[in-house]
Amino acid sequence: MDTIIQILIFLFLIGFCGLACGRTLEKRHYRDIEQRERRNKGKFLVTQLKSFPASQPGGKAPKVVMSEVVIGSDYLKTWFSQWRNLFGGEMKSFRTLQDRAKREALLRMSEQAQSEGYNALCNVRFSGADVGGNTSGRKNKLHFAAIIATATAYDANVS
Amino acid sequence: MIITNTETIAGHEIVQVLGIVQGNTVRAKHAGRDIAAGLKNLVGGELRGYTELLTESRREAVERMMAQAQQLGANAVVNIRFTTSAVTAGAAEMYAYGTAVVAQPNVVAAQPID
Repeated sequence: MDTIIQILIFLFLIGFCGLACGRTLEKRHYRDIEQRERRNKGKFLVTQLKSFPASQPGGKAPKVVMSEVVIGSDYLKTWFSQWRNLFGGEMKSFRTLQDRAKREALLRMSEQAQSEGYNALCNVRFSGADVGGNTSGRKNKLHFAAIIATATAYDANVS
Repeated sequence: MIITNTETIAGHEIVQVLGIVQGNTVRAKHAGRDIAAGLKNLVGGELRGYTELLTESRREAVERMMAQAQQLGANAVVNIRFTTSAVTAGAAEMYAYGTAVVAQPNVVAAQPID
């Protein structure tokens, strides 16, 4: 009886949490990201140069913008990754997780800069953060992509 | 106060370098947020509690850094950097550091007329 219940719980986690919720949320997020990226195309200059390319003389004083994104894994992704860990190779399920976090962080910075009247970002920097304390020997590890992004917003000649 | 993560400031000239300034903070969310994050880890999606934690700690670290810069008499901080480190489960340290400078708006040189 106990094993049946355990199997049912496992199937629920894989099926409902992983396949149904996780996949849908990821697809919806990707659609949202792509839509927002298209909106910014051509109007907004984003570089990771340390200088200010095409900066407008006499424009607004530059300002730092920051964004933080923490995207959690789902049960199915975590389960896949555990198998992947056994055999080695690329963890595709976690690659998309990191990809989403970074693109979302970049978009949030662009939107913040745009709302404050800037039209360019330079010196974009991403770095990971360890919020859950996963490296300090926590037992029930959480799987997520935590990204902190920093950039400088400035006025540029975008034509 | 102008804050950038570049070494220069567009349209400004750095006239005096005052030295490094820093600010840090260690923050944690209450246990309920940690439990919620654990549940969210089953279905996927953004862990808003932790995003908020990072935002708050970054703001606090930057504010402390700015206070220090103000004490030195700076009007800008350039080349700021952030690092995080794990202190214990559910808490994160955010450390912000940069160089305090005095910056002056560039006077646009008059074009010589031929």
